[in-house]
Amino acid sequence: MRWGMVVDLSSCVRCFGCVAACRIEHYLPMGITWPKLVAMETGGEHPTVSTYSVRCNQCKDAPCVDACPTGATSRREDGIVAIDQDKCVGCRYCVVACPYQNRSFLSKDKDQGFFPGRGLTPFEKEGKKLYKHQIGTTEKCNFCAERIDAGLAKGLKPGVDREATPACVNTCVARALHFGDLDDPNSEVSRLIRENNGFQLHPEYGTDPSIYFIDKKIGQTDGETQVKKEAEPAGVAE
Amino acid sequence: MMDVYQWMVKYTPQTEWIEKRGIFLWIAFYAGGLSGGLYLVSLYFNSLWGMFISWLIMVFIKGGSHLLFLGKPWRFWRIITRPQSSWLARGFIFVVLFIGSCAIQMAFTYWMPGSVWEILFKISSGIFAFGVTAYTGIILKNMKGVPFWNSALLPVLFILCGVLSGFGLAVGIALAGGDVDLSAAEWGSRIFLVANALLIIVYLLQAEHREDVGRQSVMEQLRGNSAPIFWGGIVALGIVIPLVISFTSLFMGEITSWVIIFGVVCEIIGGLSLRYCVLKSGAYKPLVARPQNQ
Repeated sequence: MRWGMVVDLSSCVRCFGCVAACRIEHYLPMGITWPKLVAMETGGEHPTVSTYSVRCNQCKDAPCVDACPTGATSRREDGIVAIDQDKCVGCRYCVVACPYQNRSFLSKDKDQGFFPGRGLTPFEKEGKKLYKHQIGTTEKCNFCAERIDAGLAKGLKPGVDREATPACVNTCVARALHFGDLDDPNSEVSRLIRENNGFQLHPEYGTDPSIYFIDKKIGQTDGETQVKKEAEPAGVAE
Repeated sequence: MMDVYQWMVKYTPQTEWIEKRGIFLWIAFYAGGLSGGLYLVSLYFNSLWGMFISWLIMVFIKGGSHLLFLGKPWRFWRIITRPQSSWLARGFIFVVLFIGSCAIQMAFTYWMPGSVWEILFKISSGIFAFGVTAYTGIILKNMKGVPFWNSALLPVLFILCGVLSGFGLAVGIALAGGDVDLSAAEWGSRIFLVANALLIIVYLLQAEHREDVGRQSVMEQLRGNSAPIFWGGIVALGIVIPLVISFTSLFMGEITSWVIIFGVVCEIIGGLSLRYCVLKSGAYKPLVARPQNQ
């Protein structure tokens, strides 16, 4: 079993619902965002904005796991890369080692509350009890491992049953996010990857990310332009 | 709102290990190289003063600033119990072992000079000192996402820089009346200055051909925000001025001690600038690729 996600680039409507859902689910401090929307302009004369919804890739060969000097970061049997906050020493080696820049160090200035200097809201107070974020440690997306574990204990199927599925996937109004077992060839994610030539970010690193991207426009003719399957690094070539 | 993450589609400098509290890590990285280099040079001269200063730098500047950098410093023991995990852990272990081994060795050197134990602890301390000097370069070399650092030359550069700074401090110890041969220390400085300058040039030339981001990092140093530190700190203070002072003393005979000390200070600023520029110019490839219209 290896949990994975498929992001359909052509369906994303940039509503930031996934970002908000994650913030609520994990009571994230204001300065921390686990999933991110990467926006960029594509096209020449008539540019359009493309958006990638990115988060920790839960790599099979994760550089952060190799880098962690304390064993705080480890890879679970189901492929999720987890952080034990009680073991993290805050060296930030994993933050620098992640080639996808998907880890964040929680410093004091990132956890000043929703209204700095005016105390905590009831929501924040409740969050501090339910989900402990330790200042001085590293954080990242965990595919809502707590939801998956609780759901599996009830006999539910992650990716199919909402109670066992990551919050961002549940909340996606455009159905741009899909979750499931990459090792199961009949799962929705495996089918989407197979049928739409799913690709990973920076496969050249050899990290084998568990998040795939599909773009139903890529390789198809829309009458005026045809989009290549090959891509080049953004921001470098212009 | 959409502009917030534009940085992820462009080349992105790493910040965690150089900005804000990352400054402590920069100092720790340099102090480790300086301390290890000075110890190796002190072994060559059999200078107890050099060893003692090296030990002080390792304990208070290297160890202290590294602990200040950590988010949870009181958990540092977790790092030294897992040598199999990463080079950061091994580096921490080298530091701890060096501090212990060097302290014992100095005691033997002071009270039982020439004993077998003194020699054994000199060997072990030398190995640990070399490890401390090398491990930071190895850590950076292994970062997959930062092409500017992906070079086997980086650990060599850091070792050379550490030994060069060690020779610089040895010159200072000699001038202060310590147990170091001034002429030999000056020769060591000259050789390592030239070697260091050549290696920096080779490293930058090599990095420029290491993907687009590697070229961006080199440009950042030569023409970008890091340029004043590169040209002023590394080139002028770290290489040119010490070389001029060093070769002036070679060809024109003795020069005043203050000029030599000024050269040593310049060397140390050059070493600090080198680590700063290497850390500051390390940049990631863009996170996502831009689809290209035909």
